[in-house]
Amino acid sequence: MTGWSLGVLGSVYRGEQQIDFPRLWRRALIGSLAAVVVSVASFAIRGADLGIEFEGGTSWEVPAPQVSVAEARDALRGTGAADAKIQTVGVDTIRVRADIEGPDAVDSVRNALAELAGVTTDDVSVTTVGPSWGSEITAKARNALIAFFALIAVYIAARLEWKMAVGALVAVVHDIVVSVGFYSVFQFEITPATVIAFLTIMGYSLYDTIVVYDKVREVVGRVSATGRYTYTEMMNLSLNQVLMRSINTSITSMIPVASMLIIGSFVLGAVTLQEFAVALLVGIVVGTYSSLFVAASVVARMKEREPAYVEIAERIRLRGGDTGGTTRKVAADDAALGEAAAAKRSTAARKPGSVPRAAAGSATGAIPPRPRKKKKR
Amino acid sequence: MRRKIAYVTGIVAVAVAGVVYTLAAGNEPLLGLDLQGGASVVLEPTRTAEPEELDIAVEIIRNRVDGLGVAEPDISTQGSNILVQLPGVDQQQRALDLVGQTAELRFRPVLSVVSEDALASADADEAILELFALTEGGVAADADVVLPQYDDDRNIVLRYQLGPTAVAGDGLEGAVAQFHSFIGWHVAPTFKPGAEGIDLFNNVSRDCHSRVPSCPSGQVAIEMDNEVVSAPTVQADSAFFEPFERSSITISGGFTEQEARDVALVLDYGALPVELEAQESRIVSASLGTDALSAGVLAGLIGLGLVSAYLLIYYRLLGLVAIASLGLSGAMLWTIIAWLGESQGLALTLAGVTGLIVAVGVSVDSNVVYFEHLKEDVRSGRTLRSAVDRAFPVAFSTIVKADFASLIAAAVLYFLTVGQVRGFALYLGLATILDLVATYFFMGPLIGLMSRSSGLYAHPGRFGIPASLARSGAQQPGAAS
Repeated sequence: MTGWSLGVLGSVYRGEQQIDFPRLWRRALIGSLAAVVVSVASFAIRGADLGIEFEGGTSWEVPAPQVSVAEARDALRGTGAADAKIQTVGVDTIRVRADIEGPDAVDSVRNALAELAGVTTDDVSVTTVGPSWGSEITAKARNALIAFFALIAVYIAARLEWKMAVGALVAVVHDIVVSVGFYSVFQFEITPATVIAFLTIMGYSLYDTIVVYDKVREVVGRVSATGRYTYTEMMNLSLNQVLMRSINTSITSMIPVASMLIIGSFVLGAVTLQEFAVALLVGIVVGTYSSLFVAASVVARMKEREPAYVEIAERIRLRGGDTGGTTRKVAADDAALGEAAAAKRSTAARKPGSVPRAAAGSATGAIPPRPRKKKKR
Repeated sequence: MRRKIAYVTGIVAVAVAGVVYTLAAGNEPLLGLDLQGGASVVLEPTRTAEPEELDIAVEIIRNRVDGLGVAEPDISTQGSNILVQLPGVDQQQRALDLVGQTAELRFRPVLSVVSEDALASADADEAILELFALTEGGVAADADVVLPQYDDDRNIVLRYQLGPTAVAGDGLEGAVAQFHSFIGWHVAPTFKPGAEGIDLFNNVSRDCHSRVPSCPSGQVAIEMDNEVVSAPTVQADSAFFEPFERSSITISGGFTEQEARDVALVLDYGALPVELEAQESRIVSASLGTDALSAGVLAGLIGLGLVSAYLLIYYRLLGLVAIASLGLSGAMLWTIIAWLGESQGLALTLAGVTGLIVAVGVSVDSNVVYFEHLKEDVRSGRTLRSAVDRAFPVAFSTIVKADFASLIAAAVLYFLTVGQVRGFALYLGLATILDLVATYFFMGPLIGLMSRSSGLYAHPGRFGIPASLARSGAQQPGAAS
């Protein structure tokens, strides 16, 4: 079929590309910190543009291709909604938001908008939310979020380990803060659709993170017996192994969302879909990033403090070994271990050069002699 | 081997049976308001209501909605709230006003009346102002109260000082709207016979006829939801009081035809046992709804098409399995959604559709997790066949862990939130479970079977596994397979 000689892409496809994640973590840390600070600052200073579902009030929507915001404002003069917030959403929909209630007032705006757009009253959509309802919804959402965090933490701690639970929560909180910050910076309106999208983001991000962690656990279970690698190195190997999955998953998740954004909103004018899609797109990008960079680095940092790994790191340092760039060596060992496990099957079909290939290039120094079994406390 | 064949054929049979059943039974997904247009309102009791009271309220609202002629109303309780959904209804605002109306009807003797103009004038003294201070909050049925009468523009015109209730709405048997050339549109109630209904009304009318102290004005006020609709005078022109017939009373309050019909409708089915307040009302125009639906469907199809193309190019035959697996869980999902819509009245909303789109992502992810495991094992020197056997349990354990996190999220959201988020959670959870089923019973076994086919075994490239990896360490750019 096709020749896979696409340079980097090709080598990623074949799993040969080794990315030095620990080095990238340092940059990612700066980037993430900056993003979180900007988000929190923006949220604190400018706040978020909350939709009526959270604050109460009434919102009208009418398809009006030829109508400008100024014309809409003129038409609403004398209906009690003159100081309303009027905007064009999607391609051709006029949305009016005002803090008025009561059937009569709502109806008069509705009629005015219908007349303006040249449609019947039934073509104007209206949403009215009582003020106490909004705070009730918000409180419920907050409780749900807290319960969710608690349950997920317990679940991950039970199925994997508690340090990973911490890492996963840090990553998810990071995602939500950055996504909300994005909405605050650009002053996009936060609607229930947005909230659902944020929840989705949490789901994606968590799924991604768990896949990464599970791989780490698998690799650590296989490789750590040699006692020659730091946790960070094993983490690096795991991340390289799941990299293709993360990229593929992000692409396949993004395709429907992007088509939702382009087809759904720019062409046909379905506003809610557009709102979903924007938040989802932001979230998928942030979620994939945080699984590889935030969730992984948090756990690696915590694990390196464990006595066993401190000892390994110390040993490598004493030997003058460099703790970075050893991924290929780990990979070679991992492959060799896999080999041993599968030793019973015939290897005749394979040329014998396959294992050294993975090790070639990085194992510049000879494989160091086995460290003395000198316990050093 | 045999078990794998049994799994694959079994699950395909289940999916096909589901689709056949859905088509045969004519089940179709019930579309939510945001996908077909209509009106919905969340009603919250103004005080803590007993579950029985809510059930009665739901029943009464259902009767009123039926009276309006709405095709498929969905009226249900959610926690302490009542959720009313009226798909595709005309005159949506009117419908929403009508379902939430308490419709508490009372007949009371009038003690005294004052016009708003008189109260506003300068010579009204403190005592009068105090006497005619409107009763706020709970209007007691069996105490003296002061209630307003409004004009068409909702301005107060008169204030009535009223005695205890003589007859309430439960003394009525029914009501109809009528037109009379002299008084215009009015409501004609029919009282229950005897001491439960008409006798009570005649008692108070007799008192007013003779202008006793409990009814010095001679007027009987008709009170609806804490305001006076009208207060006709019992004429004292004859010496003897003539008792009213059960259906000879009319309520005229300057009604338009629609108002008269609405009042008759709510009186017909009685008052709600508890006052309800609209917390969230939505009116979605039919055109907006259908636009959203077609946009969502189109976006979904194009998205699915592109994802399929990507999977095919990247994973070749494995991609084909992934697409088949998606199709399988899609078919089962369709069966369940259609069944839920038909038998449970559970509608698919835009938020639910989003949950499904998310689930497509999760489902594809499950496949990708397995495929990448496979490639990893082949890379480290295994044959395809042994990699397939080893990788599936490992990958499935990862998939279960990750899917379980999605399920926890869905459950928490479903039980702890309200409204749109719930719909999202329901369909996300449903699709996640089906993903597990499809992965375990279909995708895994099918790939296991395929890896045993000798043609595929010899051509790992068809599995999207670079030939160079599977067969030798030498770089073979352009290795043909």
